[in-house]
Amino acid sequence: MQHPLPRRGLLAGLAAVPSLAALAACQVQGGADEAGASFPTRAVDFWVPFDAGGSGDLISRAVAKAAEKPLGESLPVTNKPGANGAVGLKELLAGKADGYTICLAVKSLFAIGPLVVDDPDAVTIDQLRIITTLTNEGYVLVVHGDSPYQTLDDLLAADSVNYGTTGVGTGSQLSAGLLFGLAGVAAKDVPFDGGGPTVTALLGQDIDAASLSLAETMPHIEAGDMRPLCVFSEERSVYLNDVPTALEVGHNILVDQRRFIVVPADTPDDVVGVLTLAFEEAREGGEYGQFLQDNFMERWEVDGMDAELHLAEATEQFKAQLDESGVTLGTGE
Amino acid sequence: MDLSPVLTGFTVAFEWQNILFCLLGVTVGMLIGVLPGLGPAATIAILLPITYNLEPTAAVIMLAGIFYGAQYGGTITSVLLRLPGEASTVVTALDGHALARRGEAGPALGIAAIASFIGGTASIILLTFIAPALAGVALAFGPAEYTVLALIGIFLVGTLGNGSIIKSVAAAAAGLLLAVVGLDPIMGTPRFTFGTDQLADGIDFTIVAMGLFGVGEILYNLEHRDRPDKPVPSFGRAIPGRLHWLQSRLAILRGSVTGFVLGILPGGGATMASLVAYAVEKRTAKDPSRFGKGAVEGVAGPESANNAAATSSFIPLLTLGIPANATMAVLFGALMLQGITPGPGLMTDHPDVFWGVVNSMYLGNILLLVLSIPLIGLFVRMLKVRPGILAPITVVITMIGTYSIRNNAFDMLLVIGLGLLGYGMRKLGFEPGPFVLAFVLGSLLEASFRRSMRIFDGDVTEYVQQPVSATLVAILVVTVVVVPLLRRVRTRQTAGAEEAGVRAD
Repeated sequence: MQHPLPRRGLLAGLAAVPSLAALAACQVQGGADEAGASFPTRAVDFWVPFDAGGSGDLISRAVAKAAEKPLGESLPVTNKPGANGAVGLKELLAGKADGYTICLAVKSLFAIGPLVVDDPDAVTIDQLRIITTLTNEGYVLVVHGDSPYQTLDDLLAADSVNYGTTGVGTGSQLSAGLLFGLAGVAAKDVPFDGGGPTVTALLGQDIDAASLSLAETMPHIEAGDMRPLCVFSEERSVYLNDVPTALEVGHNILVDQRRFIVVPADTPDDVVGVLTLAFEEAREGGEYGQFLQDNFMERWEVDGMDAELHLAEATEQFKAQLDESGVTLGTGE
Repeated sequence: MDLSPVLTGFTVAFEWQNILFCLLGVTVGMLIGVLPGLGPAATIAILLPITYNLEPTAAVIMLAGIFYGAQYGGTITSVLLRLPGEASTVVTALDGHALARRGEAGPALGIAAIASFIGGTASIILLTFIAPALAGVALAFGPAEYTVLALIGIFLVGTLGNGSIIKSVAAAAAGLLLAVVGLDPIMGTPRFTFGTDQLADGIDFTIVAMGLFGVGEILYNLEHRDRPDKPVPSFGRAIPGRLHWLQSRLAILRGSVTGFVLGILPGGGATMASLVAYAVEKRTAKDPSRFGKGAVEGVAGPESANNAAATSSFIPLLTLGIPANATMAVLFGALMLQGITPGPGLMTDHPDVFWGVVNSMYLGNILLLVLSIPLIGLFVRMLKVRPGILAPITVVITMIGTYSIRNNAFDMLLVIGLGLLGYGMRKLGFEPGPFVLAFVLGSLLEASFRRSMRIFDGDVTEYVQQPVSATLVAILVVTVVVVPLLRRVRTRQTAGAEEAGVRAD
């Protein structure tokens, strides 16, 4: 992770001139040499590769706010949506690896994306370095409150099922697809454009079931408009303690969405260290904790190596299960 | 109905700091509405951090003000520069800009502001009394209903054109084709993306509108740069005269109702509302040939409709927690960050927020009307600026606005490309209106049709077996087949009668 020498020399020269360095600080400069004790000397851009208003955007804003104090600089959030997060991450990789731009990333892009399309240009996790892990958001299989299906067994005994998904290559599609595929139920997926339209379709009873995140469903479950049948996490959700896991009722399916923050892989160690410490402290904040609770999210707080391992294992597990079930993502027609 | 929470909402809305935030919101909204490309969704996202430390009600009052304020502001560029910033103001540009060219920019914008005010206010009143009952309307519309609705819309696009019908249809067809760019909505297969992730999500509507209308128009006008300036026609007064008012009052009424009803539908409601309102006015008019050449009803109807729709699009958000458009999604986020979950529980758990925000819209609409009149006087002066100066400024603002949608430089290249296409279309006499609207409705039609066919197991007869979609199919058949047929029969009869009369002489 060494930078080529000439660039180092140039930047050191720049940093030696205080006025120039100060000027540079409010524009585009910055670099490896400002690292360590002197990092950060200016705001750190926090990119969210998703639209404003979605879960990923909300978490980022909550954690960015909490990280301002420990980091000692502001972290303005910028949305860079496109291609399930790939557009923002590619732009991150094309920029400087100086720690002044950090980006949210999600598990589905790395663990499910490669199973949908074989894209040689796809962003891979080894191009990135995880500075902190944030959340684990479970999926819950729901039916309409008036649905005749009371339990998962009822649903799996149905002749045919239409299930909505939040899009191709999402955990929503994978979890429900594996469930019906492995159980041998004649089920057809109906992909919608995100969580909102899928919720609408389920409430309007256009579809029989859907696997959605807790944040998308809890208000409707509490209002009695949706009935949860199972969750796809390893253990029961703290927010839905009376709903069994798929595992408990005999279906070995573990799908969740996890979020973390990354920088390019060649970012200097000391810079990564500063960021990691700041976010560790940010995660302790009471407001951030309240935010997670309000949005039915669970904490996922492991170190970068464990996180990378988890992503790699999840990809292998999903691939094996897809092969076993005969389900294909993205070629459902 | 228990009115006490509604009345409490008024006291919340009229607390002095809430009045202040409402004023701030609508002013910012109006200004960004005027700047082409800079939309309310991006603005609200940028302003989110400053709302963290506000009271939830004040924060949402301000952000909501930005949203409906932008609807007022967007009209100004549609009329003056033929630059619609939102899908719902595309049809306003048709007659609005024609009026401006005729020297009636003032009355056109005045009528638009009044229509917006009436549409918005009528919609709040309806929302107050029937919002809970209407939440179900949004749910009654599934993929099948959207399919038929989009189809109706696409046929209505045909009524927009003024020149050759074949050219309108060709432009609409090209718009439909552009709508397939991006990942296949069902299978995820990349289509016309040329291997780049930048096109994976398709092309944003604003980029298409900015390119075809904005940049295309500017390029076309620059051709005539060297000619001596045309004498600028007078702008007319911002307060419309008696004649304009008489011509448009029924249009405003019809537009308000159309807008309110269609605005409830998440996904394309506001666009459909303005389109339907325009088509209704054109079809009920005594002399439809005035449309496209500066008919005041062609401004009044769609403007009241899109503002009514902007207000009623809050219904699915506030009662079901479903954001109806990109701006509502950001508002949803703003509420969540405040620890308030929009959805079925909002009205009972946070009546002060719900009614405070709803009632602040009365005030917001009044403020916008009051702000509009002097600002119109100011903005029409834009027409006096020489194209050589106005054009580069508009292009720069358009580029900034385009960048702000996704914070993406690639989109700026797209706008330039589409601008060249728009210029070419203009030179060859193709209208951008049908292209842009077909583009919007095309993605809705394709995705909805394929979803519904999956749900129906490929059985098309299901469309007429479900009550709501069957009703829509009936409307489609009446408007597309029966009415034109009757009209043809009638013209033939009158022609026959005249002929007979001539012979008898």
